[in-house]
Amino acid sequence: MSAAPQPAPLLEARELARHYAVSQGLFGPKAQVKALDGVSFTLAAGRTLAVVGESGCGKSTLARQLTLVEAPTRGALSIRGQATAGADKARVAALRRDVQMVFQNPFASLNPRWTIARTLEEPLAINRPQLARAERRERVAALLDRVGLRREHLARYPHMFSGGQRQRIAIARAMILEPGIVVADEPTSALDVSVQAQILNLFMDLQQAFGTGYVFISHNLGVVEHVADELMVMYLGRAVEVGAKTRIFAQPLHPYTQALMSATPALRAADRRARIRIEGELPSPLNPPSGCAFHKRCPRATAHCAAELPELRELDGRRIACHNV
Amino acid sequence: MAAAPASPWRESWRSFAANRGALAALGVFALIALAALLAPWLAPHDPVLQYRDHMLAPPMWADGGSRAFPLGTDELGRDMLSRLLWGGRISLGLGLASVLLSMLPGVLLGLVAAFHQHALAPVIMRVMDVMLALPSLLLAICVITVLGPGLANTAIAIAIGALPGFTRLARAAALAEIGRDYVTASRLAGAGTGRLMFAAVLPNCMAPLIVNASLSFSSAILSAAGLGFLGLGVQAPLAEWGTMLATARDYMERAGWVVTLPGLAILVSVLAVNLIGDGLRDALDPKLKRAA
Amino acid sequence: MSAGTALVDIRGLTVDFGSLRAVDGVDLRLEAGERLGIVGESGSGKSVTMLALMQLVGAPGVVRADKLEFLGRDLLELSARERRAVIGRDMAMVFQDALSALNPSYTVGAQIAEVLREHLGLRGAAARARVLELLELVEIPDAKRRADAYPHQLSGGMNQRVMIAMAIACSPRLLIADEPTTALDVTIQAQIMALLLRLSTEQGMGLVMITHDLAVVAELTQRVAVMYAGQLVEEGAVPALFDAPRHPYTEALLAAIPEHNRGAARLQALPGIVPGAHDRPAGCLLAPRCAYAVERCRAERPPLAAGVRCFLPRGEPKP
Repeated sequence: MSAAPQPAPLLEARELARHYAVSQGLFGPKAQVKALDGVSFTLAAGRTLAVVGESGCGKSTLARQLTLVEAPTRGALSIRGQATAGADKARVAALRRDVQMVFQNPFASLNPRWTIARTLEEPLAINRPQLARAERRERVAALLDRVGLRREHLARYPHMFSGGQRQRIAIARAMILEPGIVVADEPTSALDVSVQAQILNLFMDLQQAFGTGYVFISHNLGVVEHVADELMVMYLGRAVEVGAKTRIFAQPLHPYTQALMSATPALRAADRRARIRIEGELPSPLNPPSGCAFHKRCPRATAHCAAELPELRELDGRRIACHNV
Repeated sequence: MAAAPASPWRESWRSFAANRGALAALGVFALIALAALLAPWLAPHDPVLQYRDHMLAPPMWADGGSRAFPLGTDELGRDMLSRLLWGGRISLGLGLASVLLSMLPGVLLGLVAAFHQHALAPVIMRVMDVMLALPSLLLAICVITVLGPGLANTAIAIAIGALPGFTRLARAAALAEIGRDYVTASRLAGAGTGRLMFAAVLPNCMAPLIVNASLSFSSAILSAAGLGFLGLGVQAPLAEWGTMLATARDYMERAGWVVTLPGLAILVSVLAVNLIGDGLRDALDPKLKRAA
Repeated sequence: MSAGTALVDIRGLTVDFGSLRAVDGVDLRLEAGERLGIVGESGSGKSVTMLALMQLVGAPGVVRADKLEFLGRDLLELSARERRAVIGRDMAMVFQDALSALNPSYTVGAQIAEVLREHLGLRGAAARARVLELLELVEIPDAKRRADAYPHQLSGGMNQRVMIAMAIACSPRLLIADEPTTALDVTIQAQIMALLLRLSTEQGMGLVMITHDLAVVAELTQRVAVMYAGQLVEEGAVPALFDAPRHPYTEALLAAIPEHNRGAARLQALPGIVPGAHDRPAGCLLAPRCAYAVERCRAERPPLAAGVRCFLPRGEPKP
């Protein structure tokens, strides 16, 4: 083992949790929604961590935590070794520059009243005020070229662009400050297949060029298999299986991961996995099941699953939270 | 490919111009405003000058009328046309002033309330609720009683009545925008609250505010007329359409034009502004637009 | 009904919205009980085609067709009353966003009962019984309680099942599903797909599945029609069409799917975007983006021949 100190990981989350108090009417006690309940992972530069899960799994909450929009209820988040907890305004501003986001809906993520130039220049104007106007314009124009649009598009408004083009603009906006981390929240879910392919290629090209680390949230396993290095499967606020993409796709061990993969329709019969039919719907986060949150729908559930919450443990080259593996 | 990028404002103007009624109303209102503005040059006489020899002279198209007083004179012998033109300055000016006095602070308060949901919003909105609980005319009368009658105080009194409307509207519109991704993106870019409020969110809230401003304008003219009618607003001998109506009450049968003409002026102005307001709402409301 | 009458027979369907041609000369035929998939991306006209069949295209849209027949009857000739008897009863549609397709002010049971009342004249206890029967048919657990719930109290998957229940209430001969699972989680999507398959096979109901997801079509349907910029570009059986696509667009769509690019660093992406209303090419609509385009493709519009609209179909030896 080397004695030299390891450089701090680009992004590190330890037992991140975020609880919301939800009022239950005028006189009832406030209910606790555990949107995120203890998530841990690290991300290195130039790598992609894919977060997979269905609605209610906590991925949007996680996105808000990572972009410092909200503070965690519990747990710690650090960027390049610097803890985000208790950071004063100046430090939050500095940390902000290093984490940016690409949103799901290309039709809502650009200010309709601003030209593209204004949208792209704003981050520079705020964070690099020392830049001269001309230089700002140059940087913006250069980045716009890079994402496949033209300089003449700078004077236009968002409603004149297609979904794919708007997403390119959104990506350019995220990259203009050259952040170390980009959180992409379902960036291609609203796009057609052929446009999705173009945008995913753009993502990969930019990662190659800038060495950005991606946290890529998606429910589309095909996309995830293409872009991810590591994979984290979430269910009701917790990670159930975390590890290298190739390992998990080759042999998913957690019943939920297996169900997800088998439920994904595949074009070729050869690609289809045996259908594991899971019944029912996602439980309400206001009233989560006891023990393992998945036990009510799990084909392998036992009494033990209802009684005790499984913790993540190392198994076969990944971390998995299940009693029956 | 479009030559110049059609900004959202230009597109809205195009939608507005397609509405014939609104465009006509805009034309009429522009004429009225222009006439009022050019009163010093257009008015044939001094509006407060009394011609004792020509009291209650009828308009020039009626029996006994003369070219010297095209629209007749009132009960004190003052030229109606001149009083209407100069009165327009005051009535329309009052409308504009009260809209500005209510819109600027109202929108500011609404934005602050939207961005400080937990801290300041409850306080601000409860104060607005109290103000809304009082009938606006009564509120105006109270304010004038405290401040005293006169032009400036009338504007303030009317503005205070209109303020809560703007605050509520601005807050609702801002709240709807705050949740949207582009605001979050601006936040992530490091924008502070001030920048978020005025640069990012406010331009997207303008539609309901502009519509409310135009409707507020017409309501202000009516309120000023009402206050003038009650003798609380603009004081004699200043010409103002409402006061003109008030003092001419007794002459409705003998000299109808003294009442009718200021009444018509109020009617036409308010109607025009309301039509403009309707047109603006249709042009600016994104839900009514044809899908892009 | 004669054995030769198709369930649906569309010839030369054209839908224009002002200067925009949303559907351009589409021919489609569906036999009774058959499952057809219509795939395409935004602007392909796939939804508008079925809306035109359902007579749901309103002004300023103009619908023209040489033939628009359902069960042998020309839909364009029907009076409004006759139309209402057919639409919603023998032919029904399910949409993408169940929450906005359902009326938020009425319980789901009341909304299903409305369909029963309008088309079948069922009322009172008989209607209630059928409502519960339908809810069970679409696999909604605890049907009695759920029937009295409002749409916002149910999940997306549940609401979609309610919509399907409303659609099959009168045992239609044809069910059209427009992106019914796009907004749903993948596990729920699998459940809904299985439900649609079961209903189609058990009730002999024809199914038209409109989607942009080729994999859904591959697993659910027997035939597929591929649309691009308002035109039908390829038609064929599943899985034959996916194993050997003949139209360059179908080939490009398949090539762009991440699952077909395993191990590659970049996805094979078709460059460019779908032509809009103002830049429709004079020749083949795909020519500006097609890697195989030749002069003829840019000059002439290819007709639909043997199920493919291309002068140089893939996999065929060049003349």
